[in-house]
Amino acid sequence: MARVYVSTVVNARNDRVWARVRDFNGMPNWHPAIAESRIEGGEPADKIGCVRDFRLRNGDRIREKLLGLSDYDMFCTYSILESPMGVENYVATLRLTPVTDGDQTFLEWTAEFDCAPERENELVNNIGAGVFQGGFDALKRAFGG
Amino acid sequence: MPHIVKSTILDAPTGAVWNVLRDFNGHDRWHPAVATSTVERAQASDKIGCVRRFKLQDGSELREQLLALSDLEQTFSYCLLDTPIPMFNYVATLRLTPVTDGDHTFLEWTAEFDCPPERETELVNNIGGGVFQGGFDALKRAFGG
Repeated sequence: MARVYVSTVVNARNDRVWARVRDFNGMPNWHPAIAESRIEGGEPADKIGCVRDFRLRNGDRIREKLLGLSDYDMFCTYSILESPMGVENYVATLRLTPVTDGDQTFLEWTAEFDCAPERENELVNNIGAGVFQGGFDALKRAFGG
Repeated sequence: MPHIVKSTILDAPTGAVWNVLRDFNGHDRWHPAVATSTVERAQASDKIGCVRRFKLQDGSELREQLLALSDLEQTFSYCLLDTPIPMFNYVATLRLTPVTDGDHTFLEWTAEFDCPPERETELVNNIGGGVFQGGFDALKRAFGG
């Protein structure tokens, strides 16, 4: 099973960062790779089990299901239902932890998935350095960091 | 039960920080409040269950026992056995996590304990703001941060 781990520090309190990222339907508001998002069946975006239907800027579509969301622990876990990426059993978690010494936020974005062995390095790099780090860079531009 | 969480960012990779922190008998080399440290019965300082005896700069003495140590997770936990302060069931954990975006270290130090209710605010401030943050400040001077 392939594993991705990417982390960063953003110069804003974790409640401000969480307000930006907790909306499971709100990634187009902060992630540069996401063009459109809608929640299927008109469900609320914080209903566990809801499904978001993404369109990326490159035209790809991805459907992802919300598995866990905690305002107390500030994390969001989701799985991929359909994507052109060639991954199976993909589960990812975005987690925020306060840095008490200076009002910053420590962000961790992890994923685990199965894939064809010869594609593992490429996928780990695309997801970690591309998608996750791309989101972090956008948050750092928005909040400083 | 009072619960303390303190965290900071150090400008060094986790491996370099862990090399300093993992020695349960070496806190006198980096924490300004600790004058001397010895491990009882000449046990190795990474033997689970070993007991360290601290003399603090203010002359007080305390004994702490190593409960868990993981080089993989870069974390250790310990409890207080003897202290002149009225704290009971004190368990603390220090954990390092990599900040992949810049090769820094997220350092988190937590503790839980019981105490007389009228001493809670004072003890939380002394441990969190004094002991833990004092250790962070010394590490930041040593590693940058």
